[in-house]
Amino acid sequence: MSKVAISVREIKKSFALSHSGAASLKTALLWWKKKRIEKLEVLRGVSFDVSHGECVALVGRNGAGKSTLLSLLSNIYKPTSGSIEIDGKIAPLLELGAGFHPDLTGLENILFNGMILGLTRKEVMERTPAIVDFAELHNHIDSPVRTYSSGMQARLGFAIAVHVDADILIVDEVLAVGDYAFEKKCYDYIADFRAKGGTILFVSHNPDSVRKVADRCIWLAAGEVKMDGLVEDVLTAYQAAGDER
Amino acid sequence: MRENFKELWRFRELLFAMVERELRIRYKNSSLGFLWSLLNPLVTVAVMWFVFRFLLGNQTDNYSAYILAAYLPFMFFNMSLMDSAQSVIASLPVVKKVYFPREILPLSAVIANFIHLCLALVVFFVFLFAVWATTGFQVAPFTWKIAYLPLLLIPYLALVTGLALLISAYNVFYEDVKYILSVALYLLFFVTPIMYFSETVYYALKNRPNGQLIYTLYHLNPVSMMSTAFRKALVPPGKIEVIDNGVSTMIGPRPFDYGLFAVTVVASFALLFYGYHTFNRMKWRFVERP
Repeated sequence: MSKVAISVREIKKSFALSHSGAASLKTALLWWKKKRIEKLEVLRGVSFDVSHGECVALVGRNGAGKSTLLSLLSNIYKPTSGSIEIDGKIAPLLELGAGFHPDLTGLENILFNGMILGLTRKEVMERTPAIVDFAELHNHIDSPVRTYSSGMQARLGFAIAVHVDADILIVDEVLAVGDYAFEKKCYDYIADFRAKGGTILFVSHNPDSVRKVADRCIWLAAGEVKMDGLVEDVLTAYQAAGDER
Repeated sequence: MRENFKELWRFRELLFAMVERELRIRYKNSSLGFLWSLLNPLVTVAVMWFVFRFLLGNQTDNYSAYILAAYLPFMFFNMSLMDSAQSVIASLPVVKKVYFPREILPLSAVIANFIHLCLALVVFFVFLFAVWATTGFQVAPFTWKIAYLPLLLIPYLALVTGLALLISAYNVFYEDVKYILSVALYLLFFVTPIMYFSETVYYALKNRPNGQLIYTLYHLNPVSMMSTAFRKALVPPGKIEVIDNGVSTMIGPRPFDYGLFAVTVVASFALLFYGYHTFNRMKWRFVERP
């Protein structure tokens, strides 16, 4: 294993911006001559490395490109240009319980979601008891997920994601779910994950949680890395910039 | 294409789980789930049988078996395309949050419907045996030609999969594709030998100028060709009532046109490759849909 877990080089990503919104053949036929598609450049050349065992927080204002960056790392978008290299198994937590089907039971959804996250059927089966334990859903696991509260769904989603045995966790503001006890459990898990040498890259708007878990902080502004360094330094500068406005 | 196929193979277990999920959802809410889903074709065929046998007085032998043998594959075609048209766009929220090969979505819709077709064919044979038993054991329920069935199902699956990949990809960007599709499928039903026979068409066109050409064009529609082929393989030949020169005549089935069938098979596999290629070209833009 090399030292670098995530290596991002000169990543650029632009999206086609639509003003009409409607996607229909009629619009396509009417406007086929005028190809006036505007490009929105979300990332304008971002580079950084994350070493194995490091925990990096991403901060920045809405629309700075944080979520786009995490989606690129999770293989959901292809970059317009630049390269991404990832060493190890990655578990993206962009949304807890994405892909749950409301009519299936908790147990059926565990199988399905675990496989979406890249486990084999056998592996999911072996881990199911641990997942149910972690989510604390013993009494509800045979009920359809539509009967779950949003907190219960999030707990199940988190429990599945942390049982795929990833080396790298990609987390997009999903830890602010569930009650206090469950939140504590999540932070305990993250501490444990880090102690085992796991790598984390996460987005947070909460300075306290950044201080609590991160050992490095990257400030993203308008699609570029504005500052990359120690948590306290970056947060101070970021908050100062926020107060100025 | 090879890279994409390798990636799909790596995720094969997810594909199977997805098929299982589709079938489970379809048959879930009642213990008679599977039988309920057969009710639609059975009632439709019963009505067609009533109209043709009683209201129009057509004397064709084993008419209900003939309709079922063409209608069940047509329903597979119809349902697969309708389900897969929606498959990607309905899953966009998941597609935006999790990576997996996107072709799994339309493929699982097609495979789930294919399994449904296979189950329906089992029920179809039960039906044939019931007819055999209630009509005094005269016409055998099937002939050795049933051995051809896999050779029909495989190109038909290729055809449906190719179309499903194309339609599901285009429907992400142009949502009117599914409306055009539902009209096209409705019209296709009438230009496909389901309620009537390819023999009916043959005798109606026989003495027309360019009749042979129109007959050939009619069978260049792969669904027509397949419909005729399924009847040949599944239903023991009986007498068919057609109008020949304005006179109603009972005739035996016409010989099967292997040349035209070969065209359909080649076209089906070509469509599968084209569909898969197009889907792979478009799939990374699904999440960036403006």
